[in-house]
Amino acid sequence: MSTLSPTIHLIDDDAAVRDSLALLIGTVGLRVTPWADPQVFLEGFDREAIGAIVLDVRMPGISGLTVLDTLVAQGVDQPVIMLTGHGTVDMCRRAFKAGAAEFLEKPVNDELLIEALQNAVRQHVRSRERHQADREARERYAQLSEREREVLGLIVAGLTNKEIGRALDLSPRTVETHRANLFAKLQAESLAQLIRRYAALVDEHDGG
Amino acid sequence: MRASGGSWRWWWLGGAVVSAAGAVLIARQAIDAQRALFETDARIVHRLLSQQAVQHDAILDTLALLQPGPPAAGAQPPEQRLPALYPHILAVQRRDRDQAWPDPALAAAEAASRRDRRAALAPSPDGDTARFRLVLAAEPTSYALTIAVRGMVPWAEWPMPPDRSPVRVALVRGAQRIDLQAGDAAALAGGSGWRFSFHKHLAAASQPFDVVAERQLGWAQLPWWRMLGWAAAVTAVLALMAQLQRQRTARRRAEELLRLGQVARLNTLGELAAGMAHELNQPLTAVLANTQAAQRLLADDPPELDTARSAMAQAVAQARRAADVVGRLRAVVERPAHRAAEASAGGVDLADAVRRALHLLEPECRRRGLAPEPQAPAPVRVQADPVAVDQIVHNLLMNALQALDAVPADARRLTLTVLPAGGHGELRVADSGPGIPAEALTRLFEPFFSTREGGLGLGLSLCETLAQGMNGSLTAANRPEGGAVFTLRLPLKDAS
Repeated sequence: MSTLSPTIHLIDDDAAVRDSLALLIGTVGLRVTPWADPQVFLEGFDREAIGAIVLDVRMPGISGLTVLDTLVAQGVDQPVIMLTGHGTVDMCRRAFKAGAAEFLEKPVNDELLIEALQNAVRQHVRSRERHQADREARERYAQLSEREREVLGLIVAGLTNKEIGRALDLSPRTVETHRANLFAKLQAESLAQLIRRYAALVDEHDGG
Repeated sequence: MRASGGSWRWWWLGGAVVSAAGAVLIARQAIDAQRALFETDARIVHRLLSQQAVQHDAILDTLALLQPGPPAAGAQPPEQRLPALYPHILAVQRRDRDQAWPDPALAAAEAASRRDRRAALAPSPDGDTARFRLVLAAEPTSYALTIAVRGMVPWAEWPMPPDRSPVRVALVRGAQRIDLQAGDAAALAGGSGWRFSFHKHLAAASQPFDVVAERQLGWAQLPWWRMLGWAAAVTAVLALMAQLQRQRTARRRAEELLRLGQVARLNTLGELAAGMAHELNQPLTAVLANTQAAQRLLADDPPELDTARSAMAQAVAQARRAADVVGRLRAVVERPAHRAAEASAGGVDLADAVRRALHLLEPECRRRGLAPEPQAPAPVRVQADPVAVDQIVHNLLMNALQALDAVPADARRLTLTVLPAGGHGELRVADSGPGIPAEALTRLFEPFFSTREGGLGLGLSLCETLAQGMNGSLTAANRPEGGAVFTLRLPLKDAS
């Protein structure tokens, strides 16, 4: 994970605006990649990196709102901040509906922009972390045997070892063994942690 | 004008119906009036003739009562003076006791008179149907009057001019018919139109004649002039109403146009403000970002002086850019003509202007897989404002590129031709796009007319204004082989 150096993608067709905003964003230590052409940006930017996207609404050829739609359609998870010279209520509504994280008017105040960017980056990092933890939990869950999954389901449902043994027609000792194994495989240190991390996955599998 | 054509049809139809209904009413009123007049006249005629008939009875009664004795020899009997008093009494005859009537018809009449106790008719001895004899039996002497029917009419009291009246009046007794007034024989024989007739017995039982009056009112006697006058009046009133209606429509249309004009002006201001906002926001954004970045860089410890300096230089450049935008706006609002004269001492090379615009639009061209080059066999220098020319060329190229989006990549052609034509330099921008829809062709240069969704519709309008301001022109057409061609003509530098 490249959380250490989040990258801000700045897309504006106006070179002066692009350079000055890049300089301003750079002063707080954020790395900026400027793009003049939204098409080139869509083809070339790093979707895996942590960061945020600053998008001008009014550009020749392809509008910022279209770019936003494309990004959302492609499942890009980096937050998008829209910039516009004359924002109408309608345009603002469309942007938020399409999934913009923020909608700012030009000329934009430095504090407003930087705060929005820092929020966006924090949000992205958190979402990536959640995503990461989620993925790891899934991987560990996948290692469980069928019997261990059954036992986990009943543990999450709040049954004691004795009750689980009765429900699955197993001896309490065998249940105890499964329980120890699945705690080890899922790297859970307490019952509370186990339930917090895996209850959703168990529900998901029961449902599916 | 289809709607107004339809309304005209209704006006005509309404006019025809009202005219016809009015004319029928007028005709009916006229016929009724003529009928009433006829009946009044007929009744008067009947009364007058009846009075005469009654008078005959009275004369005979008087003679029978007075019984003037036999005249002295040589002297005239007194009753023989009657024809002198009454011209229609042609003769008075008497039959003294023990004498006989010279005519058996008179004897028969006297027998009838004696039987009915009133005077009785006898035919004229010479068969003249216009006469009759009236006999009253009395003692000792009976009397007979010979009466000329036509003479018994009191013309002085007659209600109609006898020689001109269209009414035929006759006394009828069985087959005997005595015409008193001929009337309009031709009309009565023709029988077209309306026939009035009147039959009534004379009010004297001794003279059983029928008074028969007839009149034929022909079509020609209808009050055509009044009917025509009515139709003319209806037409005049309708024409007046239609005229008022037309005036009202015209006034409403004028008001609508005025309102549209005001809306258009407001729109122009709105679009101008939006365009200004964008054009000014870009440099202002850069100025603000640069100065705020510089502030932050100077606040660093140690301050990053070089970067801050360069940011400030950028801010200055962008502030100038904002000022240029304002200046350009003013230049657009003013006419560019006088600028053209002083700005281009050496004239503007059209091919160069095209190359400059192509350079700016290079990414746009590349994205569409195009690499157009101006075809200019010889340099063409025009008398024009270079900024305005750049603006026009840029707009035309941008339009053409957008038009080419509508066709597949391998069908995209953009041909840019520069050549002299007469006293003008000509730039033709021809694309292989879908062309200009016929209905758009005439409105293409109207402000706020755009075929692009979300287009402001100001680009071509502004270009045309600029071209005309430099004594040039901008025209659009569809190419026979498909696509559109825009032609910019500007006066040649050497020509002026």
